[in-house]
Amino acid sequence: MKQKSIIPGFGLSFGITITALSLVVLIPLCSLVVFTSRLSWSEFWYTVTRPRILSGYYVSISTAFTASLVNAGMGLVLAWVLVRYDFPGKRFLDGIIELPFALPTAVAGISLTHMTTTNGWVGRIFYDLFGIRIAYTRLGITIALIFIGIPFVVRSVQPVLEKIDIQYEEAAFILGADRGATFRKVIFPEILPSLISGFTLAFARSIGEYGSVVFIAGNTPYETEIAPLLIMSELQEFDYAAATSIALVMLGIAFVILSVNAFIQSVVSRRVSGLA
Amino acid sequence: MKVEKDKGILKYILILLSFTFLAVFLLLPLFYIVVTALRDGITGYVQAVTDAYAVKAALLTIRATFWAVAVNTVVGVAAAWCVTKFAFKGKKLLSTFIDLPVTVSPIIAGLIYVLTFGRQGDLYQYLDAWGIQIIFAVPGIVLATIFVTFPFISRELIPVLTAQGTDEEEAAALMGAGTFTIFRKVTLPHIKWALLYGVVLCTARAMGEFGAVSVLSGHLRGKTNTLPLYIELLYQGYDFTGAFAASSILVIMAVIVLILRLVLEQKGKKDQERNR
Amino acid sequence: MSQSGADTAAYVELKGINKHFKDYHASKDVNITIPRGKLVALLGPSGSGKTTILRMIAGLENPDSGEIWIDGRKVNNIPGSERGIGFVFQSYALFRYMTVYDNIAFGLRIKKRPEEEIKNRVKELLSLISCEGLEKRYPSQLSGGQRQRVAFARALAPNPQLLLLDEPFAAIDAKVRLELRTWLKEMITRLRITSIFVTHDQDEAIEVADEIIVTNQGRVEQAGTPRELYMHPATSFVAKFIGNSIEVKNFEQFRFFEKSGKDTVAIVRPEHVRVFKKGESVQYSRSVEEAVVEDIIFRGSSLEIRVRLHGNLISSSRSITDPMIEIGETVDVFIYTLFLVDGDSITLVRNQSLKEESVFI
Repeated sequence: MKQKSIIPGFGLSFGITITALSLVVLIPLCSLVVFTSRLSWSEFWYTVTRPRILSGYYVSISTAFTASLVNAGMGLVLAWVLVRYDFPGKRFLDGIIELPFALPTAVAGISLTHMTTTNGWVGRIFYDLFGIRIAYTRLGITIALIFIGIPFVVRSVQPVLEKIDIQYEEAAFILGADRGATFRKVIFPEILPSLISGFTLAFARSIGEYGSVVFIAGNTPYETEIAPLLIMSELQEFDYAAATSIALVMLGIAFVILSVNAFIQSVVSRRVSGLA
Repeated sequence: MKVEKDKGILKYILILLSFTFLAVFLLLPLFYIVVTALRDGITGYVQAVTDAYAVKAALLTIRATFWAVAVNTVVGVAAAWCVTKFAFKGKKLLSTFIDLPVTVSPIIAGLIYVLTFGRQGDLYQYLDAWGIQIIFAVPGIVLATIFVTFPFISRELIPVLTAQGTDEEEAAALMGAGTFTIFRKVTLPHIKWALLYGVVLCTARAMGEFGAVSVLSGHLRGKTNTLPLYIELLYQGYDFTGAFAASSILVIMAVIVLILRLVLEQKGKKDQERNR
Repeated sequence: MSQSGADTAAYVELKGINKHFKDYHASKDVNITIPRGKLVALLGPSGSGKTTILRMIAGLENPDSGEIWIDGRKVNNIPGSERGIGFVFQSYALFRYMTVYDNIAFGLRIKKRPEEEIKNRVKELLSLISCEGLEKRYPSQLSGGQRQRVAFARALAPNPQLLLLDEPFAAIDAKVRLELRTWLKEMITRLRITSIFVTHDQDEAIEVADEIIVTNQGRVEQAGTPRELYMHPATSFVAKFIGNSIEVKNFEQFRFFEKSGKDTVAIVRPEHVRVFKKGESVQYSRSVEEAVVEDIIFRGSSLEIRVRLHGNLISSSRSITDPMIEIGETVDVFIYTLFLVDGDSITLVRNQSLKEESVFI
């Protein structure tokens, strides 16, 4: 398993890690597989293709995708502003970005909901002026997911942007590229992998998000019912088979998203390092 | 500091856009919680916060958080040490497994524990014979919290340890120092700020975990309600002042986390620069 | 201490060592003998496996096969901390969060020596490395040379029998490096501690070491004193690697040299060549050849003259006090000796016009 190293403590640290990992993560995840193996294929297929479940996936994926796209754009702007400009309040801006990591999701959820109902501060304005409802619609879900996902993109792009040597830009500038062309041709390709990585992380996280979304969603079947909520309601009816089937599909989706990202990253790193 | 290249209007547009975005999506909900919590006056607020159920929920939250953070600190340090100081087969796989819980939906995290330890699981009969109740009880809440925050500490430590390299540990080992001496005297000074930040972040997330805990708690009012679950109960019972008052406790905690993060990050950076 | 054995002079011995890093064969059947009390250099280009050898002696790596003996003891299964060695890392690996004092005292504290003894030993070492008064500083507050000395003191503190140094001068500016080389040689000679250091710089190896072990592609090419390597290279690699060597294929066109084998090439070193202004040479006037100066490089204390001779660009050194030579000038060139390389056999061949005379380089 290991190559003998002079530094002591491999057995101890590896032992602790693998024990905790097995007990907390691997064995419970295995029980998902074990439990699934008891289901028949037709049962599984019937459960996950029920129209209500399919619409749950659709709602989860479409809102998560939209929110992550918005976050990719805004995350890029925020990272750029934080790395390239100096202005009063910069440290404040930098600190506040991590808020969604620090604030409990349920707290964010009730706040966003209460604020955006047609009686709420923000909700009233939008409803009276434009006739737009926010809370209890897909728009509301998307907004909650924007809240959750923004730090993923910023924290992914920021360090890469910091490392780009200003000399590249100066070189491009001396060669006659204007600022727009410099960004498109020199900077953007450099940060694109990290942007994709931030996007996929936010996307995967958003699909599974529960606490911040469950309040604002309103949970109308076929309209604003998200996939994690469907698992929750099956559990409340003690239908473990259905809950497990839905969960399995969600894990599959997350796995595909992360694999696509891993593939993109490996292609890019191969291109950069010049290995065929 | 970076040279500021954009002197034009674009800079101000981007900065303004960043501030507006964060103000609307992050600060407004935060502000809203505080205002709503205080809308029945200070006495109403104090009453809501000192409600016996609220205090009980807070105590359970602290208990679960304490255990989750304690376990994850030990495991996180061991995992980070193991992954960065040694070369062994399966290292990549191990890192992937450690990071896995971040991408698993909290609801699914709750589900896998229900499947493992619940009535329909194989373990249930043994646990029941021993009189151990895990799901719908405190141990389940603790386990779910450990799962959700599993990689938080190791993820903070690994970049710092990677940057530090293994030379100092090798030098100490060559002089005959043992595992704990090396860790305490040589490694720990390098990672102390990152470790503290990891603990802070882990604490915040553990206190605020909603989805997984919600699956596992069984919602016995007063017995297995954590603070976020208690907030949900109040909110669904239309006691908005109570819900937002309880939330404000978690908001204060989140703000403290953010400030600590800025301070610790600054200290860590300074240390790294000084000792380069 | 010393073991009775057939060869008591051997302090460190590597027998048939092989080491792989995944698919990379880092050490190929390495056999080395290092006598007690000697200062030995492991010299080779980067990637030649010299650091791997050093790290295996220290116990930082384990060989896949073969035996390592230190002081008559087979140490393959003895941890590095019990092999009686001191190790100076390439980047020094000073404990960045400890003061100079704590760094030097570390090894003694691990051995649980009394605090009084530690204090005296650290003091003694600080004066040895002329760093008195720096004990409260942190490594980041030291200059490169001081860090190097502290690393040296830290390695010496527990009184090791064998000192290993990995590229000890690589991280220091050129100017301090020369000073430190002399200092280190003096220090090690004074302490009479068997020492092995790794370097890729032949000047460093030649100047500092009693003996040099040349490595290439995981193999040991040759071991011997600097003079032996210089005068009698055992392999073509050593002949080319040591000295400022130039390879010449058509050397039979040079006057007074003959082609012997079939695939022979010759190696010419600047020390073996002299360039004269026309008519300057009296002694070899009959044997010189004409060539044109292509380039002159100022080397501070001397000039490097590059001439084109039968299509080969050949270097020679010339004193700056000698009459000036200019680029494009036609000069007389005399080659004293050549190394002929035929496969792996090396022969030193003299200019035939010198047959009766004795040559000194």
